Amino acid sequence: MNKNIILYAAILIFGIAAPFVFPAFKVQLSILCILIILAITWNVQGGEMGYNTFGNILFYGLGMYLCASVQVGMFFPLAEWTEGGGEKTFVHTPAQFFQGFAVGLAVAAVVPAIVAGLIGYSILGLRGHYFAICTLGLGVAAGEISGGIEIIGAGQGFTTPPFPKVGSLEARGEFFYFCSFAVLVFTFLAVKAIYSTRFKLVLNAIRDNEDKAEAMGIQTMKYKIIGWMISAFFCGLAGGIMGGLVGYIDSTDVAFDGREMGVFMVLMAILGGKGTLWGPVIGATVFHIFKEGFWTFFLGWQYVALGVLIVVIVIYFPEGIMGWLREKYPERFGEVVDEADRKAQVELK
Amino acid sequence: MKIKNIIITFVSALAILFSTSVVSLAKVVGDKIILGAAISLTGKYSSNGVHTQNGYNMAVDRINSMGGVKVGGKTYMFDIIYYDDESNPKRAAQLAERLISQDGVEFMLGPYSSGLTKAIAPVTEKYGVPMVEANGASRSLFTKGYKYLFAVLAPANLYLDVAIRTAVELNGGKGVRIAQAFEQDAFSQDVRLGILDAAKETGSKIIIDDKLPKELNDMAATLAKVKATKPDVLVVSGHTKGALTAIRQIAEMKVDVPMLAMTHCDAAKLSKQHGANSQYALCASQWHKTLTYKDDFFTDGMTYDADFTKEFGYAPPYQAAESSAALLVFKDAFERAGSFDQKKVRDALAATNMQTFYGNIKFAEGGQNVDKPMVLFQVMCDDAGKCENKVVAPLKWASAELIHPIPKWSDR
Repeated sequence: MNKNIILYAAILIFGIAAPFVFPAFKVQLSILCILIILAITWNVQGGEMGYNTFGNILFYGLGMYLCASVQVGMFFPLAEWTEGGGEKTFVHTPAQFFQGFAVGLAVAAVVPAIVAGLIGYSILGLRGHYFAICTLGLGVAAGEISGGIEIIGAGQGFTTPPFPKVGSLEARGEFFYFCSFAVLVFTFLAVKAIYSTRFKLVLNAIRDNEDKAEAMGIQTMKYKIIGWMISAFFCGLAGGIMGGLVGYIDSTDVAFDGREMGVFMVLMAILGGKGTLWGPVIGATVFHIFKEGFWTFFLGWQYVALGVLIVVIVIYFPEGIMGWLREKYPERFGEVVDEADRKAQVELK
Repeated sequence: MKIKNIIITFVSALAILFSTSVVSLAKVVGDKIILGAAISLTGKYSSNGVHTQNGYNMAVDRINSMGGVKVGGKTYMFDIIYYDDESNPKRAAQLAERLISQDGVEFMLGPYSSGLTKAIAPVTEKYGVPMVEANGASRSLFTKGYKYLFAVLAPANLYLDVAIRTAVELNGGKGVRIAQAFEQDAFSQDVRLGILDAAKETGSKIIIDDKLPKELNDMAATLAKVKATKPDVLVVSGHTKGALTAIRQIAEMKVDVPMLAMTHCDAAKLSKQHGANSQYALCASQWHKTLTYKDDFFTDGMTYDADFTKEFGYAPPYQAAESSAALLVFKDAFERAGSFDQKKVRDALAATNMQTFYGNIKFAEGGQNVDKPMVLFQVMCDDAGKCENKVVAPLKWASAELIHPIPKWSDR
């Protein structure tokens, strides 16, 4: 227990000190936090519940548009703000900016959760590939639909309110970093708490054999929906922050960015090891570092390098980094392994 | 509990990695002025991204070989740090941040496309980094009150304005019936707004107003409607892919329309790729080689065209020409500012009033170039099937007469 506290304290201190120790990397660090949040929330479905969703990007994009819209709409007419070629310039005062952002984030968390409940009720009955394909469609459809809605900028995109002139030049980066880090800590603790309850066992039961779980008297539908709502809540928060951080929302390239963010969240969770608490965190971190590295050193070939990385993951670490460690050092995960058992396994191989 | 140790090791490794990878370059090192640019080398804008990059490189080589930039009695050479923004606004914003805060770049060149420029402008504005951009034409870029953004090109809403007015004129001053299809992106939607304005002023009617998805490769539904309703003008805009798709499907479906107005014909190398099928297409262009503007570096449009073709193996589309012009603007501003102070350079940029081979450049309050009109060219082919782009409007530069209406497919 003691060791745990030391570890958490170390990470917390690192997280708080990071933007001051590496001031030039604030944006990358903020994005790292967002990526970890997305990986953790994807893992709730993909890892613990065995439902491979590509639809979480829907909540992320929804959160992004909602947060920005509320932030603008609270003080100015939204339609005039987003009107293409609009001649008017509106400027948020610092108080308006932060109030708007806070309310925006709240809306960006709650509404996607409600939407997840409504959609979940209708599609969580699907299983396996059918569910994956259906959710894939959700993200694509949302991107196309939002690209046609004039009030949120349609194809022109939505410029989020510029950060007000407070403090130094670094204030904006620090603000968004601490927002994303705080949400990351909140997400991690919430998910950790949830995983220590019966709820996680139910999700695992659904993953291992849904029919059996139902036969045991578990209302699987209820749990599946609640699980998805939890994911949507945090995805929405992540999206809201990301919108402010990027400063410009495009329907398919930034908000409902299924082919990048939507795929990355799955990759990161698998890379780290799905079905574990720390797996997505490690996976997202490793993934982000590799991605940034490829980007710098293999300009023009970064996606080829990323592709090679994915192939390596699939071949050598099919269970992810955590899964690989667990197989290699089961004792360290608190698993008791009988020596004879291990021998037998080696012989089998 | 060894797993915790692994995590701790990992976190410290991460810390070391971050701290060693900080490579800070100043904007001016020795005799080098280092500019930063995020360019679409991959993704949906990759072909235009490459045109942009080639244009920048061409100008850098030319300026450097002709004596560089003279600031405060010292000669400096240009150099550019490129990153690939993958045609993604999120990445572009991140890269701008990276160029400025990690690479220490203090002057930026623009990316390709309005959407990406929209994503980068807030970042350069925040740091007070002057950015001369050559490929972000959306009008909304110039109404945000940006002080450090300068665009050498005419805003997007003017692109096809002339085409509509010409059509109305040819129709005896009466309004025409317009069918239009635009990609859902910042630039094309702005071109659309320009058409809406022109239609309103000329009393024209818009009978089809379609939005097309990004990465445009099918617009058969729109064309089927065009076939049924027979409009006077068909307007299509969707970057390079939009132009290629439109010509391909119009030829396949044999759609007859008196006037076909588009954007990005030269970037898409329409006349080369589709030959006689692209004939009669009317295209908006920021620049054409036959225009009579001059400067000391590239002499004039024809020379630029020949030099560029020799260097890169294809004729320069206007995206390359305007990108080269951006460097000329920077050089001029540095020399007039006589310093590398960002504020002074910004003020010098704002006071720019010069002629380049690409056109006159003078910035309005919002940063757009107000001294350079758009031109329209038409793809014209000879009997042997060799096609060329010839300027047809405005009359001052016209090298051929507009062919109107477009002959029916059955007569071609």
